[in-house]
Amino acid sequence: MFRTCDITGFKVDLRAEKLIQLNAVMAVVSLLVGVIAALLLVLTRWQVVHLLPVEWYYRALTLHGLNALIFWIVFFEIAGLYFGSTVVLNSRMASPKFGWLALILMVLGFLLVNFTILTGKADVLMTSYAPLQAHPIYYLGVILFAVGALIGVFLFFANLLVARRERTYGDTLPLFTFGLVAAAIIAVLTLATGAVIYIPTLLWSLGIIKSIDAGVYKLVWWGLGHSSQQINVTAMIAVWYLGAFLTVGGTSINEKVSRFAFVFYVIGINVASAHHLLVDPGPSPAWKVFNTSYVMYIAVLASMIHAFAVPSAVESAQRRKGFTKGLFDWLKNAPWGNPAFSAVFLSILIFGFIGGVTGVVNGMEQTNIIVHNTLSIPGHFKGTVVGGTTLAFMGATYYLIPLIFRKKITLFGLAKLQPWVFGLGIAVLAVSMYILGAFGVPRRHYDITFSGGPFTYTFNPATDFFWVLFALGGITAVIGALMWILIVVISVFFGEPVRGPQDMQLKIAEPPPPAKEGHGFEAPGTLTLTLLFMGVFLIFLLLNWGWLAAMWEVK
Amino acid sequence: MALLPPGEGWYFKKVAKDEKMWITIALVVCLILFFWMVVWHIYGRQNPSFITYRTTPEEFNALTMAFIKKYQTGEMNGIPVVEPPPNSDVFLVGKMWRWEPVLVLKKGQEYRFHISSLDLLHGFSLQPVNMNFMVYPGYDYVLTFKPTSAGEFAIVCNEFCGIGHHMMIGKIIVKE
Amino acid sequence: MEERKTPFFQLVLEDFMFLLFLGVTIYAVSYLIWGLMELAWLSPIPAEIKQELLGGK
Repeated sequence: MFRTCDITGFKVDLRAEKLIQLNAVMAVVSLLVGVIAALLLVLTRWQVVHLLPVEWYYRALTLHGLNALIFWIVFFEIAGLYFGSTVVLNSRMASPKFGWLALILMVLGFLLVNFTILTGKADVLMTSYAPLQAHPIYYLGVILFAVGALIGVFLFFANLLVARRERTYGDTLPLFTFGLVAAAIIAVLTLATGAVIYIPTLLWSLGIIKSIDAGVYKLVWWGLGHSSQQINVTAMIAVWYLGAFLTVGGTSINEKVSRFAFVFYVIGINVASAHHLLVDPGPSPAWKVFNTSYVMYIAVLASMIHAFAVPSAVESAQRRKGFTKGLFDWLKNAPWGNPAFSAVFLSILIFGFIGGVTGVVNGMEQTNIIVHNTLSIPGHFKGTVVGGTTLAFMGATYYLIPLIFRKKITLFGLAKLQPWVFGLGIAVLAVSMYILGAFGVPRRHYDITFSGGPFTYTFNPATDFFWVLFALGGITAVIGALMWILIVVISVFFGEPVRGPQDMQLKIAEPPPPAKEGHGFEAPGTLTLTLLFMGVFLIFLLLNWGWLAAMWEVK
Repeated sequence: MALLPPGEGWYFKKVAKDEKMWITIALVVCLILFFWMVVWHIYGRQNPSFITYRTTPEEFNALTMAFIKKYQTGEMNGIPVVEPPPNSDVFLVGKMWRWEPVLVLKKGQEYRFHISSLDLLHGFSLQPVNMNFMVYPGYDYVLTFKPTSAGEFAIVCNEFCGIGHHMMIGKIIVKE
Repeated sequence: MEERKTPFFQLVLEDFMFLLFLGVTIYAVSYLIWGLMELAWLSPIPAEIKQELLGGK
């Protein structure tokens, strides 16, 4: 039932390992679908090419949303949950049977959803806002996927209970697994909300329920829709800590602080789904302000805590290894040739400076007026979930391949380059989308020349330049993603086997010598970076509030 | 250690000076952000509205037709042009795939917009001012606008509403 | 050996069932229930506005 890993020493439950592998494979398949759709979308929105015809644009957009934002990430996260609750704890899978059930349901859901989209029966976009209605099989597919994922999440908790009862890891969960606990808690309420909204919607599409209130639908749906992204944030941060540990032997300089930050997520992060309803009729400003602020910004505080804790984990370890010169010697001498390290560090930078900075402003009740439904919104979330979560997951995979698939990374030279290609592409794409949105360019829109409409409107000519950047960034990101998929597929299916520690291309770092008793600043380089981030953030904030104040008055 | 349980006494380890400093700064900023939104509701001039009424497509359509009839001054490309008096209730309807009516307003005057949809969700996106609000069937969103600039403005629909979504564009004219 | 009583908050951190309860409940009350109640409380368009446009009944 177990093998003992000859590289890490962990006990690996072979039944868990199989399930981890299969979920990871499905994740890559989903990403491939999502990336192909992305390329088609980039070449359509850039109206110089305007590749797809109108109905296929919305179809591809739906396909991209479901596969890139839901399937790719959730399959990967389920693999991660199993890893964190078995291998990391030297423990067993509580019930492999349920793991298989979860996988079958998720694969079935994946197939049904993609089939209905591709056959034109679900041109409703990922949000499927009622009264827009898709074919019942589409909703059924989503429900099956969500139920499967929920089973996987419960299995994670069951594994933890088993490990605790069988005392396989001592008293306190490792930080990586603790982060996954926070992610899994958010997943429970996410998927439960999914059931609450999709089951009546399915019945409505079958004609059993007469109508669905548009306001109720959107409110409840975003309890699923945004919370699912908060799972991704939490999982990403857990992967950041994992990356810091594997690549430089770093760990949080204060476990209590990091753990409380995860708890702040659990308490405050889910109510922020309200930021999708800030300029909607219905809920009062009191509800909007209280909820969008993540309960008075407790969860933003948590993000800022991790923003310090993760780089300082790297810095502290590096300083103890001797890289103490100046503010950034530790960073210059970090293992940039390790694609897992570069992916994780780029993920931190992009998530923080692009995703984070734009996110808070978008989510403030009044500034939302100048961004809602413009291209700035997808620009923001390319920074968070693509440049942040996806890139971090890509980095983690470079350890997953030798350790769980027991294969060497083929095309290793390409692998070293890949995080940079993808990261650069996404950064350029995200920023250009955000700027286009600032000029008023709408999202989810087929033709901004409004052909066929009773009037027309021409956006500021400066947008032409940013459309070119958009296309360049998008194509580069697609190339970066395809590079990663190619490397993963060839390595896993055709790569040389890993026969022992000598075959590891990526070092697993030795833990650094213990810290000398503190004399104050443990991570001055990180503090500088975070203060810089705060400066950029405040400037961006003030600019946007200034722009808002220049608008027409409205109340 | 991220993959290993934390060391003995981890809960009692003192927080490093720089981490403490950063957390304090972040906490202060976070609280300021929250209260900023509240204060802006009192002193700021751009706020999403407090007022929403329940309605139905039939009722709202009837009200809009009556509104158009009362203040119509002409027509543009088949869409009625309406010039309502300042401080009155202005009705704007979104439906697949147009905005009705075209509105003629005066700069510096207040107008109580009632915006609703007859079918699906639509997005009210006023360009080039770039103010964006959602439009729902069954809900009358009452937004009191005061145009602070004159000229011709477009109402772009920025919420997907079917195949003709990109043809949905309206107009507001603001006179000096 | 010094016996240290486990602090209350450390126990909270380690009890993931309690955290699950906390996370789900805060979200359900503050976002879902409060939000749905607000939608349910909305009133129809006031009679004066309708009268002004549609004339007397």
